[in-house]
Amino acid sequence: MMNVLGVVLSAQLISLRWVDIAILVLYFAVVIFIGFYVKGSTNTSEEFFLAGREMSAWVAGLSFVSANLGSLELMGWAGSAYQYGLLAMHWYWIGAIPAMLFLGIVMMPFYYISKTHSVPGYLQLRYGEGARAISAASFAFMTILMSGVNMYAMAVVMQTVLGWNITFSIWVGAITVAIYVMLGGLRSAIINEVLQFVLIWAGAALIPILGLIEAGGWTQLKLNIAHNVGSAEYTHLWSTLGHFKSNPMGVNWVGIVFGLGAVISFGYWTTDFLVVQRVLSANNLRAAKMAPVIGAAFKMAVPLIVIVPGLLALGLMSHGQPAYHLVPGDVAARTGEHSYDQVLPLMLIRYCGPGLLGLGITALVAGFMSGMAGNVSAFSTVWTYDLYGAYLNKKATDKHYVLMGRISTGVGMLISIATAYLVAHASSIMDYVQALFSFFIAPLFGTVILGMLWKRASKQGGFWGLLLGTASSIGMFLYTSTGSAAHKAHALSVIALSPDAQPMAENLFRALWSWIICVVVTVVVSLMTAPKSDAELSGLVYGATVIPDDGATTLWQKPIFWAGIVGVIFVALNVIFF
Amino acid sequence: MAEGTGRGEALSIWFFVGVMTLLYGLVLLPYGAWEWLTGNEANTVLHQLHPTFWWGILLTLFGVTYTWLHRPGARNKEHI
Repeated sequence: MMNVLGVVLSAQLISLRWVDIAILVLYFAVVIFIGFYVKGSTNTSEEFFLAGREMSAWVAGLSFVSANLGSLELMGWAGSAYQYGLLAMHWYWIGAIPAMLFLGIVMMPFYYISKTHSVPGYLQLRYGEGARAISAASFAFMTILMSGVNMYAMAVVMQTVLGWNITFSIWVGAITVAIYVMLGGLRSAIINEVLQFVLIWAGAALIPILGLIEAGGWTQLKLNIAHNVGSAEYTHLWSTLGHFKSNPMGVNWVGIVFGLGAVISFGYWTTDFLVVQRVLSANNLRAAKMAPVIGAAFKMAVPLIVIVPGLLALGLMSHGQPAYHLVPGDVAARTGEHSYDQVLPLMLIRYCGPGLLGLGITALVAGFMSGMAGNVSAFSTVWTYDLYGAYLNKKATDKHYVLMGRISTGVGMLISIATAYLVAHASSIMDYVQALFSFFIAPLFGTVILGMLWKRASKQGGFWGLLLGTASSIGMFLYTSTGSAAHKAHALSVIALSPDAQPMAENLFRALWSWIICVVVTVVVSLMTAPKSDAELSGLVYGATVIPDDGATTLWQKPIFWAGIVGVIFVALNVIFF
Repeated sequence: MAEGTGRGEALSIWFFVGVMTLLYGLVLLPYGAWEWLTGNEANTVLHQLHPTFWWGILLTLFGVTYTWLHRPGARNKEHI
């Protein structure tokens, strides 16, 4: 046993003791057991792809927020908090909460009562085959590539933090996930995500608690940060967003509110099937509406374990000097210093001894695995329903589609592994794949939201809007990422409307423009073409649908009431940290 | 019906949450106590607050509560 560990554990940031290994092994044993346990309840396609549509609001809601709470995201945004200060919080609050509440209250009834199995499936019902084909093919392709990229990134983190061999991390993670998703489908993935959510809090919540005790409280931490970085800009959410130059991120409020809050966030949280699939598993309409509201409430708390550790690294002092000096990843690779993304492991080592360290590492591993499970379960659903079942084999039996779901889960995992090795040999691919994913989200939101709210949107309008919106996003990316450095700087200033814009602003404004192009094209083409009849749009669009009663009898049971509570807390938090 | 694991199953998703946190509590609690009593605590910042021991207690209590409330055969009230 020790020899095996000696092979996989070499020079590293963290050393695990037997108690840490025991905690990690326990986690693997439980998730594999769960896969075998739920296999008996995973026989039909609805059970395999939608967890039997029998999840309560709490389970669907926790899974919904957890599917997005991968380790890469935790570590990346903790690093961003060190780099940009409190501005990183926007990705958790305005970049998530309004969209999650909107999904629950406005959009979920249509997804749910249309009985669609997927977001491309909704597009097929609303706009026809063209829009579904674009959406399904791009989603399946990108999801599986993203899965591979995440797998490689996970392996790199495990190598840096724990000294694990990259091949060992990729195969152990992939085989474990493949086993429990092939056995239990979405049900396995959801159970694992709920467990992961609890584990992440169990493993990471001690960092902000002990960190704030060490720093002397929040007010003292803010003073320390201002002293360490020589500026008070790092601890405000909104007051520095008047101009691109007045904040460390190089964005302004227009980019944050309209690019992030209105387009990227709504695009991701309301149309990315990876997260929407979790809510579709709800056991009734009220649970489907409540799940995103519950998810939003928990999402608001996540900055405590992600953003606060980054701020702690920025504000902690040692003998009157900053305790940490972290650098960008490329600099760290050259100089051997610690990079921004290592904030979370560094804080873990600072406060957690044996046992707690194992719990923290288990939380990271659980996050990685549940991210993989989310990707492959969403891929296998879209592949089986919207590509294989729609175009290759329309009349197969339900049993055959379940078999195809299991096969595509395994094949998807193998493609992910191949992608991971591809990225390992050409790391620039990772940047392109991550950028590619963002091409589809903003226009897709334009297409879906017009389809749900505007009866006049036609089949041709939906197709051309989605196609040209996506093409414009790709075009803008090529415009800003090719050519000389001078050309790139000029292109960025054109897209983000300011010569002072930084790269972070580009994503926000590119999303905004591609969404506007999608909406304008959809509207213009729809007005030039024949609309669908009200009868065809029943169950799919506001104004042509009688929304069924969700069964709430008291105020406490109404999703809109809880959405209001979450909304009020959201506004209050933004005012407090203004 | 066991919530989250399918019709006909006995163990609910919350039972697994309880068992997992209980197991972790039962690993951390004695280990933290041993570290504290024998002075073998790792030299982490604020180790004098004995975080492993107290976190172990918290996880154990949480785990016991969830495991008991969602044990096989317990009535499952779903309000939302």
